[in-house]
Amino acid sequence: MIICKNLELGYSCKNVTPAFDLEINDNQWIGIIGKNGTGKSTFLKTILGVIPIVRGDLTILGQRPGKCNNLISYIAQEREINLADRMSGTSLITSSFYGWKYGLPWIGKKLKNKVEELIELVGATNYAHQSFATLSGGQKKRIYLAQALVNQPQILLLDEPLADLDPHAKQHFIEALQKIHQHQKLGLMIISHDMHEIASHLDAFIHFSGNGVHYCPTIECVKEDTYVGL
Amino acid sequence: MWVYSFMQNALFGGIIVATVCGIVSVFIILRRMGFAAHALGHMSLTGSCASALLGIPAIVGQLILNVVIAIVMGLMGDKIKKNDLSIGVVLTFVLGLGTYFLFLFQNNYAGSVMAILFGNIFAVSTTQIWQLLGLAIIILLIMIVISRPLIFASIDPVVAESRNVSVKLLSIIFFLVLAITVSMACQVVGALLVFVLLIIPGAIGIQWGESIYRIIAISVSVANLSLVVALHLSYYLDLPVSFCLTMLLCFTYSIGIVKLIVRNTK
Repeated sequence: MIICKNLELGYSCKNVTPAFDLEINDNQWIGIIGKNGTGKSTFLKTILGVIPIVRGDLTILGQRPGKCNNLISYIAQEREINLADRMSGTSLITSSFYGWKYGLPWIGKKLKNKVEELIELVGATNYAHQSFATLSGGQKKRIYLAQALVNQPQILLLDEPLADLDPHAKQHFIEALQKIHQHQKLGLMIISHDMHEIASHLDAFIHFSGNGVHYCPTIECVKEDTYVGL
Repeated sequence: MWVYSFMQNALFGGIIVATVCGIVSVFIILRRMGFAAHALGHMSLTGSCASALLGIPAIVGQLILNVVIAIVMGLMGDKIKKNDLSIGVVLTFVLGLGTYFLFLFQNNYAGSVMAILFGNIFAVSTTQIWQLLGLAIIILLIMIVISRPLIFASIDPVVAESRNVSVKLLSIIFFLVLAITVSMACQVVGALLVFVLLIIPGAIGIQWGESIYRIIAISVSVANLSLVVALHLSYYLDLPVSFCLTMLLCFTYSIGIVKLIVRNTK
């Protein structure tokens, strides 16, 4: 799914990580952990091609970064949603359906059914048709999750989706991820500082630290990698 | 009153402009480009004054100036929203030039300044209607082609960019659409009140609509209905059309505000 060879991440003149090698298999669910500023979000943005590679090679689904973004869904850590006051979560999900294609957006019965299915899958049926502005943080995150799935992605990138959520909302979000895992075949990369809560659903971990970027097959392995947050 | 050709022209010209403004205003609000739209409207004053000095139709000067400024604003992309200062500086510079052109223009054509500032819908000629119709068709075609990525990028710009939507290209195209719309609206409501048709119909649509299609439909309907009623009021009460249109749209908007207050107090 993702192959990194001698990859260095960073911005134009500043390296964030030393060179590293990684190979992530198809449909693997990966947890990304590490302290702030170690390059976790930079890694996701580099996969999307939003931030260019400093050095080395990165291949996603056999292509260069940015070339297969229609097969990748990304839930950003910070986002600016410009929905009108009365527009619902359903409107947000619908608006992103093939949003990169030119032409009139046609909302047919097939799309409506698909959106309803996704809303049910993430457990947002009770509030998806309410005004998006009135939803809680946890409810909005589940709408984002449904939006991310609308174009049947092969990879889902989540940048700290559990941040700012209370334990109850976190639990609901993790349950929604579990349901997705059961129903859809896709790879997932999730950045979180609350990895202990989601670790049991993940196949492996990538640890970003000052010493470099390491692939850890188990959570214990991350602990041995001197990560202090666990 | 519709037997008079100037009233017929006012109606046709007004409907063309109100329809285009009704569509574009929704995106101005969603994309938070209110100040940019306002600035373009005011800057078109300079374009029309320069046209008058050169002896060419006002809409030509407005279009040229607005399109150049729109491309610059579009190239700035998101920065323009976060940095009102740069729009303010460009607006001041262009308005300064406009003031000088106005001074020169006034010496030759005293009295016509009011038409530039407040518009004169009753002076719209048949040729101008064809010009407005041609520009409206161009805008509608562009909007049909870009509507899906424009809606996506307007509502959720970060995710749209991650899905390879060319947010900057869309920004430039939409600014061009806005520039043409502003130039058209100036013929009806003038440079000072162009904001009326570019903001309030969309704002009313957003107050009452739940989906993007409904919001656009409400916005276009309100803009057209207000224009027709304003023409009637203007004809029978001998009041300026711009004034009637502004009051009608502001009154309709205030109904939405009252409804919101009542709902919140319940």
